[in-house]
Parts: sequence; structure tokens; C-alpha cells
Amino acid sequence: MSDSFRNRLMLLAAILLAVVYLFPLCWMYVTSLKSGSAMFATPPSFLPSDPQWSTYVDVWTSRNMARYLWNSLLIAVGAVVLISIFGSGCAYVLARYRNRWIDIGLFLVLLLQVLPPSLMITPIFVGFSQIGLLDYPRLSVIIAIAANKMPFFVVLVRATFMSVPMELEEAALVDGNSRIGAFFNIVLPLARNGILVSAILIFMQAFGEFVYSKSMIQAVELQPASVGLNSFMGPNTTEWNKIMAYSTIYVTPILAIFVLLQRRIVSGLTSGALK
Amino acid sequence: MLIHRETMRKILSSFTDGRGFDITLVVFPMAFLLLLSGLPLVYNVLMSFQQVDMFSMGTFIRPWAGLQNYIDLFNQPETRGILLNTVIFVVASITGQFLIGFGLALFFWVNFPGATWLRGLFLVSWVMPGLVVGAVWNWMLSGDFGVFNFLLRESGIISSNIFWRSDPHYSLWAVILANIWLGTAFNMILLSVGLAAIPKDLFEASELDGANIFQRFWTITLPMMRSTIGAVVSLGLIFTLQQFDLFAGITDGGPNNSSNVAQFWAWDLSFRQYDFAKGAAISVIMLVFVMVASVIYVRSTRHEVRG
Repeated sequence: MSDSFRNRLMLLAAILLAVVYLFPLCWMYVTSLKSGSAMFATPPSFLPSDPQWSTYVDVWTSRNMARYLWNSLLIAVGAVVLISIFGSGCAYVLARYRNRWIDIGLFLVLLLQVLPPSLMITPIFVGFSQIGLLDYPRLSVIIAIAANKMPFFVVLVRATFMSVPMELEEAALVDGNSRIGAFFNIVLPLARNGILVSAILIFMQAFGEFVYSKSMIQAVELQPASVGLNSFMGPNTTEWNKIMAYSTIYVTPILAIFVLLQRRIVSGLTSGALK
Repeated sequence: MLIHRETMRKILSSFTDGRGFDITLVVFPMAFLLLLSGLPLVYNVLMSFQQVDMFSMGTFIRPWAGLQNYIDLFNQPETRGILLNTVIFVVASITGQFLIGFGLALFFWVNFPGATWLRGLFLVSWVMPGLVVGAVWNWMLSGDFGVFNFLLRESGIISSNIFWRSDPHYSLWAVILANIWLGTAFNMILLSVGLAAIPKDLFEASELDGANIFQRFWTITLPMMRSTIGAVVSLGLIFTLQQFDLFAGITDGGPNNSSNVAQFWAWDLSFRQYDFAKGAAISVIMLVFVMVASVIYVRSTRHEVRG
């Protein structure tokens, strides 16, 4: 068997596997384009014969999606900014030094990385309500997400800083740079890609965050799209084409970012979680 | 607080130049984390020993309950079932994710053009908002019109529709199915990294020695992957115990708690039944398990921590 034939066979099999695996995603797109009756047809059609593009417009306006997505964006951006500012410096120090205390700090970070939001929300909710922070529900959610996701960011970005040669920073110091100057002019630019990829990963997670938002944001006009989707899906809903249209509008931007930056995201993710 | 003051002192003595800079960089994030993750953790334990309801929520000094919350919790009829569900959910999810993920990783290990890109594409399941994944699977697993039942019927596996979400025998498995789908890609990516790190000459040497593909798998691949597998399984445990959105999106814990698990129940107790003390108590129990998992995770990636 020649190599090129084997390669083509493997590629075909791989595409087939990808299609099977990504079927739920395809099904979301297909269903979102079906009419109310086509949706419940047996056997179901796997390609919509009469795509209902108007469903998107309908869902966008009737569910007030602009407001939901704006809130999601606000929360995600807030969390990313907070995490990037705090987390980058922390990751830098944890990457630069090697001693027992750094080990302990790192262990703490790794330990805090694993706390499930659904278990942490009870003390956070009670505590935030006691200090009056719940009067600013979106800010509360941003802070809670930042505390929950920052360790993950630190672990990823630390791996990036480790790959920046320390000699470069030392050379900058010899040349008369201050520590601050060397950090901002040499180290940060070299680690920029890793920080950016980690920030994007955090953004995608914060954009879809649900537990904290659901528990802490009571006012509908402040809720993000995940909570909006949850209230759209009543227990006995039959509007699945509309729910899938909602989901499509919600996830397509995230998927677009992911597919565009896929290589970098995957390599950034693996360097932090394993090595 | 003690720990990072000590950390500071260490850095202070060993790096006199620019020490203020490092301290500034690390002290704020660490304080933030300890204040907003560490303190809630402690507060959670405290609340689980207190009587907390809507009236006493606003004060810090609440009536002491001792172990009463825990005793009440274990006297509730649904507790056993929910804890059992949690175990089933965790074991089945991790097993499914790991086996399928490992299979896919081995498949993509055979290098061919486009392998890396296609493999990465699988990860879209992991970057999607959990609630959207829940919504999609909720619709696919619908009893009468769900495409999953249709495919099973067409392939002759079932003769009549399974009511995945409303049949107590299947509701937990509906969430497990979705969770396996969600986590498989992440397992595969991490396992791929581990596979790529095995030196190729090991296989060449054993091939010369006449070992067949299965012998090579058992004697080289698996042993060389041990630390990766440890990390992947413990990460799987951590992510599975974090899984909440799928329950909210597919079964809502029902019907009649048949698909309820501890991490969903903790939230349900606090925010639907306003029983914050019991919510805190079940959280404490689960957090102990999560911590154990994370220690295993850190140990299996220890060479990184030690440097």
C-alpha cells in the first residue's frame, strides 16, 4: 500500500469520525432552519428542504437576544480583564523562581483551580449578600468567575513564561532596564501569544457561564444569554427550532473564534494542563 | 495569609534587586484568590455547622447546629440515591470519555496530512457553553421526535422509543451520554500529547525484537503513558464533578431525583429550597472528594511542579 493512498484513506476515515462526533452540532444548525412541522416529521430530514431563515430574526427580537448577548459580553470581558491583569503577574512570578514557597503557591493555585462553581456558589452568594455586593449582580458574577477561573489562567500563562528565556530578561537588566522596564518591554511581548490564547479560552468559558449568573442575577434585564436560554427551555417546550436558533446565534461567534485560532488554542491548552 | 507572607520573605532575601516588583505582582492576585476562593471555602464549612435560613442569612452570628445539618442530610430518603447517582455519573462519564478519547488519540497518532487540524476540531464540544450542549442533547434525546431514538430504531438496536429524559431508568444516562460527548475531545487532545512524547526508537527496537502491535501497546505505550493517564483521569474526575450545566439543560435532576447528583443537589438545596445550611453541608462533602482528586492530579504532573 503506497503512502499517499494510506494517507488519503486515513484522512477519509478521520473526516468520517469528525462528522459522527460533530453530529450534535450539525443537528443544532439543521433543526434551527426547520419549520415547526418539519421539525417533528418522521423520518426526520437531515437537510432542511425549506430553510426558515426568518426564525433567526424572530428569535433575535422576541427573546431580546441583543440584551442577553450584551450582558454575556460584558461579564466575559470584565472577567477576562480582571483575570489577565491579576493572573499574568502572578504567573510570571510563579514561573521565574524556584523554591519551596513558590511550590506551595503553585500547589494552592492548582488546588483552587478545581473548585466546582456549583459548590462554591452557596458561600459566595451568602457572603456577597452580607457585604451588599449582590446589589451589583453583574459585578458579583464577574468577581466570582475571576476567582474561579484565574488559577486555570495562571497555570496556562505560567507555562508560557517558562518558555521565555531568562537570559533575555537578564540582558535587558544589564543594559540598564529596570525590572519594570524589562517586564513590560521584553518579557510581556514575548509571552503575548500565550497570554492572548489563554485570555481567549477564559473568554469562551466566561461567555457561556451559567451557575453564578443564574444564582446571583435576579433581574431579567441583567441576565446573560446562558440564563436566557435556560428560561427559554421550559419543561414541556416544543419550540425546538427556535431554541436551536437561539443556541446557534449564541455559539456561532465562539465557534468561529475557535476554528480560526484552533492550532494556537489547542497547543496553549495542552502545554498548561500536562507538561 | 501566613503562607504568602512567608513566600514574600523568601523572595525578599534571595532576590534583593527588584523585590518590590515581584511582591506587587504576586500579592494582589494571591490576596484576591484567598479572599474570594479560600475564604468562601472556610465560610462554607462554617455554614454547614450553623442554622442558616432566609432570616439568619444576613448575620454572621447564627445559631450553632453542630452536626445536625449532616445528620438531617443523611436521614433524607433521597440522599442515598443521589450519592449513588453521583458515583455512577462520575465512573461512567470518565470511563466513556477516556476509552473513546484514547481510541481517537491512537487513531490520530498515525500521522497523516490534516490529522492535527481535524483532531483539534473535535474540541469544539469542549468550548461550547455547557447549557447549549445541554439544549442540543435535550432535543436529540427527546422521546417521540428525537433523532437519537430514530437512529437507534433504524439501526435495529431498540424497537420502541426510549424516553431518555422522563424515564427514571434512563434520565441519568441521558446526562452521562451528553457528558461523555462533551469530555471525549479534551481527553483525546491530552492523550495525544502524551502519545507524541513517547520516543519512537522504543517502538523500533521492540519491533526488531519481534513484538507484535498488542505487545507493544501493553509493554511500551501504556507504561510510558502512565503519568499522562493519571493526569487525564484525575482531570476527568475534576471536570465531571464540576458538571452542572448539563443537568440544568437536560433533566433538571428529575424526574423525582432519578438524575440528580450531589453538585446539582447542593445548588438545588440552596437556591430552590433556600436551605443554605444543607447546601453547604453537601458542598463540604463533595469538596473533600474534589480536593483528593486535585492532589492526585498535582502528583501525577509533579515533575512540573517540582521543576
